[in-house]
Amino acid sequence: MKKALVAALLILAAIPLLLAVSELPPHGSASNATYTHVSAYYLEHGAEEAGAENIITDVILNYRGFDTNGEVTVIFTALAAVLAVLLLGDASTATEDKPSHSVSVVVSFIVRLLAPFIAMFAVYVIINGHISPGGGFQGGTILGALAIVLTLVLGEDEARRLLPERPKPWLQAAAPLTFIGIGLAGLTDTGFYLGFPTAEALSWIRTMWLLAIEIGIGVGGAAIIASIFWTMEAER
Amino acid sequence: MSQAFDIVLLLLLITCAIAVIHTKDLLAAAIIFSTYSLVMCVIWQLRGAPDVAMTEAAVGAGVTTVLFLVAISRTARREK
Repeated sequence: MKKALVAALLILAAIPLLLAVSELPPHGSASNATYTHVSAYYLEHGAEEAGAENIITDVILNYRGFDTNGEVTVIFTALAAVLAVLLLGDASTATEDKPSHSVSVVVSFIVRLLAPFIAMFAVYVIINGHISPGGGFQGGTILGALAIVLTLVLGEDEARRLLPERPKPWLQAAAPLTFIGIGLAGLTDTGFYLGFPTAEALSWIRTMWLLAIEIGIGVGGAAIIASIFWTMEAER
Repeated sequence: MSQAFDIVLLLLLITCAIAVIHTKDLLAAAIIFSTYSLVMCVIWQLRGAPDVAMTEAAVGAGVTTVLFLVAISRTARREK
């Protein structure tokens, strides 16, 4: 009885959805509204107007900068929530019992060998985000993953030194802070929050601003991912 | 050829999704979920979205899997 009811409800919900899907324009057709208005404009003017050769970066950081600003704030809020929940009450239990790390020699050697190359690749992805695929989010995640894998090999105390105590909160908040900084710079320059200078000759400023945001997102993202991992891993 | 490959990938994706729901072993579920992300990453790349593919590979297959594993190691491995 219950199953029949569920099936009936599912079919009832599926009918309008499938009807809506059948109304959509054919997949991949060049005359779709999505390809003829905004996208076409971005593809044509993006490179010189927004400051980056990679159109994705133009859209994410310039045309849709507000969205990304909010997104970056959400990620920072996630870290704040993890810290608030996991560190609630017991801030000092982290140093009690240290599980002795016994990692295989092979794993340890390979990770130590690859670490500088992974770091180099992450930096490359971050600062090449406006030319090739990649950018702050991707490069930052790679850096964060590197911190995680180093924690597994070196042990926690050693790896935590990658993120010094004093600038730590600033690094964790780097992404929203950079965004707000660039936003305010745009406000004083053009009168609009996140307004990039539009003059033809100022294209290098636009590129520099995009680069600054990329680096901010990269550093902030890496710090956030590593911090979430360390907080979850500590005191077990 | 390319379409056949697409179909194989999408079938793999659906299989992974169903397997994740049905596995009682949470460790296995986390690994299957990272496989799902990896397949999804290949699909993004084939669809011409290298930016999203990179994010999917780094976040989906890498970092979230590690966070799931840490969470499992701090709680119970089997679903009740």
